[in-house]
Amino acid sequence: MAQRTFRIAFALEWTLVLRNRAIWAVLILLVALAGLAAVNGHERVAAMRMLVAGLNRDEVQTQTALKGSVARWEASRQGEPPTVANPGTVGFSLLSHYAALPPMPLAALAVGQSDVLPSYYRVTANPTYTFLAAGEISNPLNALSGSFDFAFVIVFILPIVIVAITFDLVSREKEMGVIGLVAASGASLTRVILAKAAARGVILAAALVLITLEALTLGVDGPPDVLAGLLWFVAVTVYAVFWFVLALAVNSTNRPSVTNGVILANIWLVLVVVTPAFIGTAANALYPAPSRVALTTEMREAAEEADKAAASSREAYFFDHPELAGKGANPDGFYVQVLATNAAVERAVSPLLTEFDDQARKREGIVAALKFLSPALLVDNALTVLAGTDGVRFSGFVRQVVEFHRFWRQFFETRIVDGTDMTARSFDQIPTFQYQSNDNSLIAVSLPLAALALLASILLMVAMRRLARYPVV
Amino acid sequence: MLVVIARKEFLMLLRDGRVTWSAAILAVMLLAALVTAGVRYQAIAGERVRAQAVVDQQWREQGEKNPHAAAHYGLYAFKPVTPLSFFDTGINNFTGVSIWLEAHKQNMAEGEPARDSTAISRFGELTVAFTLQTLLPLLVILLTFAAFVGEREQGTLRQTLSMGVSPRTLLFGKALGAALALTVFLGPVLICGLIVLLIVPGGVHLIGHALVLTVLYAVYAAVFLFLTLAVSAVADSTRTALVVMVGFWAVTNFVLPKVAADFAVRLQPTPTLVAFQKALADDMANGLNGVSPDTLIAQRREQTLKLYKVETLEKLPINFQGVVFSLQEQMGNAVFDKHFGMLANVMAAQTRVYEIFSLMSPRLATSLASMQLSGTSLNDHEDYVRQAELFRRAMIDKMNQAITFKSGPNQSEYRAGPALWAQIGGFEYHPPSFGVVIARIASNLTVLLLWLVAAVTAAVLAVRQLRVMVS
Repeated sequence: MAQRTFRIAFALEWTLVLRNRAIWAVLILLVALAGLAAVNGHERVAAMRMLVAGLNRDEVQTQTALKGSVARWEASRQGEPPTVANPGTVGFSLLSHYAALPPMPLAALAVGQSDVLPSYYRVTANPTYTFLAAGEISNPLNALSGSFDFAFVIVFILPIVIVAITFDLVSREKEMGVIGLVAASGASLTRVILAKAAARGVILAAALVLITLEALTLGVDGPPDVLAGLLWFVAVTVYAVFWFVLALAVNSTNRPSVTNGVILANIWLVLVVVTPAFIGTAANALYPAPSRVALTTEMREAAEEADKAAASSREAYFFDHPELAGKGANPDGFYVQVLATNAAVERAVSPLLTEFDDQARKREGIVAALKFLSPALLVDNALTVLAGTDGVRFSGFVRQVVEFHRFWRQFFETRIVDGTDMTARSFDQIPTFQYQSNDNSLIAVSLPLAALALLASILLMVAMRRLARYPVV
Repeated sequence: MLVVIARKEFLMLLRDGRVTWSAAILAVMLLAALVTAGVRYQAIAGERVRAQAVVDQQWREQGEKNPHAAAHYGLYAFKPVTPLSFFDTGINNFTGVSIWLEAHKQNMAEGEPARDSTAISRFGELTVAFTLQTLLPLLVILLTFAAFVGEREQGTLRQTLSMGVSPRTLLFGKALGAALALTVFLGPVLICGLIVLLIVPGGVHLIGHALVLTVLYAVYAAVFLFLTLAVSAVADSTRTALVVMVGFWAVTNFVLPKVAADFAVRLQPTPTLVAFQKALADDMANGLNGVSPDTLIAQRREQTLKLYKVETLEKLPINFQGVVFSLQEQMGNAVFDKHFGMLANVMAAQTRVYEIFSLMSPRLATSLASMQLSGTSLNDHEDYVRQAELFRRAMIDKMNQAITFKSGPNQSEYRAGPALWAQIGGFEYHPPSFGVVIARIASNLTVLLLWLVAAVTAAVLAVRQLRVMVS
């Protein structure tokens, strides 16, 4: 009996759903927007890949040319070695190396922070702050609006779609008097409502599968990352289930359809728009970034001091690097002075830079904790982590660049201090940057998604209990 | 009759719990945003002024130097902020705050605040403008979506019309009532905002801007007011009216600005930094018009020798190295003008895409105008960049003139002092005048007024054949 009620109610609702033009319109809109977002993302990442691939082309050319002229001199050994054999000239001005962050397989699906944080830096022997401040050219208006990416379709639009097809799931039946009829027929009201919800859930699930396929075919290319793709689908599904259950729960409070709509619109507003804006503002207020403006003036002050005290900073430099001072050191060379001055400036500004990092880490910490206040934030974070465009991956990249810079500089530094020239062979030994992937997206996204799933189940239980006692009149 | 209807509508709205709660939340958020704005302005404005003073002092007290060394030492131009830039932060989170002004180079502004904030800030910042642009229209929708269709469902529409009230009077009465309710809810916030503006330093001059902003947001609210009334008049049920208007709000507010951003880049791609710098470096090395810098310098040497009727550079009464520096600077500036000019054209073309999209989204029209009035638009940033560059060129020119006419034959030994440094005043940004701002927002205002005309027309047409019975 009970199963039959479910089957019949499901079949009836299914027919109604298929004939409901409003539902079709909303779902088609969703699929169209998702397709647009996927294609957009695909083009964006293709451009990015091309850029990364071509970044060091010019540098390789320069390097080959430099190596050639040194090799020609080595063959003849006539006269002075060419200036391009000077390690200081090479490391400080002639040569640079682009360190790039390669996009992850799902990068096309979420822009994340990739439109404000640089994906590549031009490393030279100069201090890190001289090149870490540079950024990609972009129209600030575009950054302000943000990109229309797949993650946006999921986080912002999907809930509206779900709310639009579920906000009057039960209330409408009541307003049309169907609930009374069902109750009079002796069938279980809960089962009928569940069957109706199931019918709408099935069509929604079909739409989710469809847009995921769109994402994977239109958006992503290159070798597939099965785990990331799977987690992506899980994240989208859990988020969809949350909104679906939420609509059911609001329906269970026995209010008119219009009130349900107003309540759900307000919940959407609070969870998707207001809470994130509020948390962001709070995080910035609690741990504001130290002023870049103050950094600029202090850096200048430090450089000035270091220049004035060039001689003493040279001594201090060898005090810090006793290993370099010994063997035939060339402490009077121009580049030795440059190195010493740079070291002095770095020493002076390093507390400020550390403060920047500390504050940034604290801000990331508070946001990581507070994201549990909004499912939208939670899912947005999960999606950007899976796409590899989250702020944490970018700051990890910056740390690797800083680390690489040390190797790069050291390569030239030892030669500058020793007074040894570049040989043709040594050009091949100049370090190159290789991004070390430390992908832990599985850990990073599973806990938040599990938490959201738990929240959805609690909501479902509450909704079911209330629906079981749903007043018929 | 109009007054009676407005009064009834007004009282009904004040007594509706849904409406008062929503309005109270909006008012509290606005006040919170207002206080945050005031506090941040106090902190940041002072800091920029102090930094500029420190840098100017560093410049004046740099000691005895060759002017060219001073030109390499250079100065910084900091971007100042105005009180209204915290009402609407506009693009300020995504633009640099300082430019290094040095010899041979036009540097880009650096230190974008967005790079120091978390991903969460991309959801939007809790500014007064953001709250007004996103939440005010939603409140208007909640106030009015049931205006006609709700009365039809309750049967009161039939009674009202049977009394001989013209539908048009009913429309404007309801609009007036809702507008009054909005004024009651938000008037106090507006007054607080104006008081804050009068208190903070530099705020008094912006009262004109603030009043135009008030009108701007009032028109924006009116667009949604009449659109919702129109939809309410033709909708078959309150839930349809609600769904349609919330959908319109979500699409025009959140979807279209992003789609505009993508279209802008698609239609007019922004060059990458790598490509931009390479093109610039190529032109620097090879010269514009195919004449290499070395050739130009050689030509200038001949001209100068001829002009002073001497055979060798040593016999010149001026220092030729200074002439070379000036010439290099001129060539460099021409290259910068070409490339930064192309970049500015790209940005302008992208901005036009937003303006076209504002024909579909009243929020875009409003936010573009709001940024201009708050001094946080792309135009304002370009003004700052342009003024900083002009300052740089004047500064370098002074240094090169000193080398040319004062250094004598032994240029590298020449030292200038504080007297020369003092001739370079501190960088001071001049914001666009009120008239310029108004001219800049003319197109946005036109679009918004078109929206208003369209909304009022739609509402008037919609009530012309007002159905009284539920179908």
